[in-house]
Amino acid sequence: MSRVRRKRMHCNNKELHQKYKSKRRTKDLDQIQEDLKPENKQRLLSLPEDEDLPGLGQHYCVECSRYYIDERALGEHNRGREHKRRVRDLKVPAYTQREAEAAVGLVTDNGRAHSTPAAGPLSLLSLKQKNDAAAAAKAASTDRVMDTE
Amino acid sequence: MRLEKCYFCSSTVYPGHGTMFVRNDGKSFRFCRSKCHRNFKMKRNPRKVRWTKAFRKAAGKEMAIDSTFEFEKRRNVPVRYDRDLMSTTIKAMKRVQEIRARRERAFFKQRMSGNKERERDLDIKEIQKSIHLISTPTIKNKEVQKASESSRQMDLD
Repeated sequence: MSRVRRKRMHCNNKELHQKYKSKRRTKDLDQIQEDLKPENKQRLLSLPEDEDLPGLGQHYCVECSRYYIDERALGEHNRGREHKRRVRDLKVPAYTQREAEAAVGLVTDNGRAHSTPAAGPLSLLSLKQKNDAAAAAKAASTDRVMDTE
Repeated sequence: MRLEKCYFCSSTVYPGHGTMFVRNDGKSFRFCRSKCHRNFKMKRNPRKVRWTKAFRKAAGKEMAIDSTFEFEKRRNVPVRYDRDLMSTTIKAMKRVQEIRARRERAFFKQRMSGNKERERDLDIKEIQKSIHLISTPTIKNKEVQKASESSRQMDLD
């Protein structure tokens, strides 16, 4: 009676699901940008031999964070579309939590970015002025109260 | 109570909601719902996913540059508590909110202006291009007439 399922393979695609598991997560773009700094890159390109890794971990592509079995495979990869796309993606600064917060208007202003005091209506200086003015007004009002008494 | 922002879509993550992912280098990512978490796991770039706040701001879908954004900022400077200052601040917050809402409405109107005409032009073009698909002669004649009339009008304009 049971029907053999032929379509709808997408949700049954085990490989696809395993690929996106958190435990199999590969390096993110911001981590790779860190790796691409000269001192880190030098270290990654001269790793000690590790027999658990493909090609003893000697043929590593830093941009794609992948090990290849030999120089030929690495060269083939470097000529490929995937590698070129990754290099292009790495040119722009990586997305951060700060950017996510800036998108909803949550930014930090420590007064360093704007050297001019008139950064905004509620900048530090104006806050202080407002504070002082409020204190003066308060003092005046208490004086008045005392006068009436 | 701390209200975090979702890493992916920038919406507020309330306590007891969402997921936090801690990467093996100790950096943590908060997500408001499984949709955002799944998209993160697929390594999508929030700047390129059209429904995220980051995309909408970057692509000019929402008001990004405005003086009302200057008010709400983390300044990292302690201010001595002052009852008057607090009450004026609260008043100012409401006022700023009002002004921003009005400006956002104006921005949206500006962004959507000209849409109707553009859509009508596209419709007319489609009718003119694929009029042969209509088999009934009466309807066909009517449509041809309408299209030619409107195009004439456009020319006059």
